[in-house]
Amino acid sequence: MAPRAHLALRRPEWSRGEHPVVNVPFIEISSVRKSFPARGGGAVSVLSGIDLAIAENEFVSLVGRSGCGKTTLLNIIAGLEAASGGSVAIAGRPVTGPGQGQGVVFQQHALFPWLAAVDNVGFGFRNAGLSKRQRRARSMELLRLVGLQAAATKYPRELSGGMQQRVSIARALALDPQILLMDEPFGALDELTRIELQQELLRIWQARRKTVVFVTHSINEALILSDRIVLLAANPGRIKRIFEVGMERPRSRTAPSFNALYEDIWNELSS
Amino acid sequence: MRARLARFAVSAAVIGAALLAWELAVRFGYLKPYQFPPASRIARGFVELSTTGFPTGVSIWSHTLVTIGRVLQGYLAALVLAIPLGLLIGALPFLDRLTAPVVVFCRSIATLSLLPLVIVWFGAGELTKIVLIAYGCFWTMLSNVIAGVRYVDPMLIRAARSFGVAGIELYRTVVLPAALPRIFAGARMALGVGFMVIVGAEMIGTIEGLGALIMEARTFYRSEITMIGMLVIGMLGFAISSGLAGLERLLLPWSGSLDEVRR
Ligand SMILES: Nc1ncnc2c1ncn2[C@@H]1O[C@H](COP(=O)(O)OP(=O)(O)OP(=O)(O)O)[C@@H](O)[C@H]1O
Ligand SMILES: [Mg+2]
Repeated sequence: MAPRAHLALRRPEWSRGEHPVVNVPFIEISSVRKSFPARGGGAVSVLSGIDLAIAENEFVSLVGRSGCGKTTLLNIIAGLEAASGGSVAIAGRPVTGPGQGQGVVFQQHALFPWLAAVDNVGFGFRNAGLSKRQRRARSMELLRLVGLQAAATKYPRELSGGMQQRVSIARALALDPQILLMDEPFGALDELTRIELQQELLRIWQARRKTVVFVTHSINEALILSDRIVLLAANPGRIKRIFEVGMERPRSRTAPSFNALYEDIWNELSS
Repeated sequence: MRARLARFAVSAAVIGAALLAWELAVRFGYLKPYQFPPASRIARGFVELSTTGFPTGVSIWSHTLVTIGRVLQGYLAALVLAIPLGLLIGALPFLDRLTAPVVVFCRSIATLSLLPLVIVWFGAGELTKIVLIAYGCFWTMLSNVIAGVRYVDPMLIRAARSFGVAGIELYRTVVLPAALPRIFAGARMALGVGFMVIVGAEMIGTIEGLGALIMEARTFYRSEITMIGMLVIGMLGFAISSGLAGLERLLLPWSGSLDEVRR
């Protein structure tokens, strides 16, 4: 796989050993709880008893109503937020912080306004031990991957929402993370760009064998992309049902099986 | 461009009409010239100020230069102290909690009310004026620097942390640049404070400076000279503030904040 070899950086220590045995979950989420301190004392429970095992190279989508805790769960997997109880492990190692192979694409614009697009991507290489020139070359390469090489020197405020989101994706790919955590990455895009980027993401996922946890509000999107769709219920956030998609890719949005599953998920979501 | 020209013409016409009405009101005795000096009188006063000077020998230019010199000294001293201190306090939450009441307290004291005390400490000379300006600028600058580094968009912090950037590196690569627009805004506000304080500070123990000019003019009922002093201070403040805004555009081309806030 040429592109990967080309981009592959020093893998973090923990991932150099043998691959996890098949059937051993790659990301293991066990009884994760999260509560935030409520105003006026007490606590609000945002996640309760989340159990989920994700296999290596699996593509899993999280769907559920706004406020059901999708972003919170993603942040916990990313090691950016501590769970109030339970644990998350990646390849058998408990997650204690970022940098264990997770790359994150955030829900809102999280680009650094003072850095041009190419330097925003380059930020991802900060601790990769590369020279400035190597960093720039790799960043340009990633921008090309998301079709933005022409906008390399633009500041985020000069980019459209969709372009910013693509820069975020390129930046998340910088360290060639084994796990991509994506929080509604295509939420703010027009239909055409969205479909293009979905294809692009599938291509990257297949070419580079990544494990993806993908948050979306679109059942359609989840059906096009995922191996499994995890439906969350709110108050407190918990897993309501998990759907196996099991259709060959590329998937047709008009196939009967696609529509049948759409129907199922829709009914479960709205019930 | 056309629209801007038209807007400019309209404002010029409005101001011109107001000045003309003022002039006529004085000519026909509705307004007293020493209370409301008309434009012609102000112009004559300006000629006098730039040739013989007022008091005799001190031209408007030397008044202006002296004032600029004092403001800059106090202002720069304040920045030199406030920026590093603010960066430190903002970096350490416990220090911020500890110092916040003091900062708010000191910032709230009208600087000129310290005049009597400062005179007792430093005499009625140059130092007193510069200390007063520095005091006023310092607290404004300090609270802005602290606020700038304290309230960085948490999403940006998260994004950086997701790449394993933490501690001092996080502060240097994210917090500091994110705080720069607010620090610049603080610098502009502090300058405004400096010009507000200077007039009062120059009212004692000197005949040089725009504040002294205004005071002296009062003694002789030369309202037009008072007005000239005010005008020059206003223009100075405007010019330096625009200069700072230009500098900010130059140094922070990524920040769109100036497009919205023109101060
Ligand atoms: N720092 C916080 N303090 C208090 N409550 C929080 C905090 N962060 C999130 N919450 C609450 O936790 C719940 C879940 O938030 P979260 O952002 O995970 O939702 P979400 O599923 O991502 O929603 P959306 O689809 O709108 O992005 C919400 O009710 C929110 O109000
Ligand atoms: Mg969310």
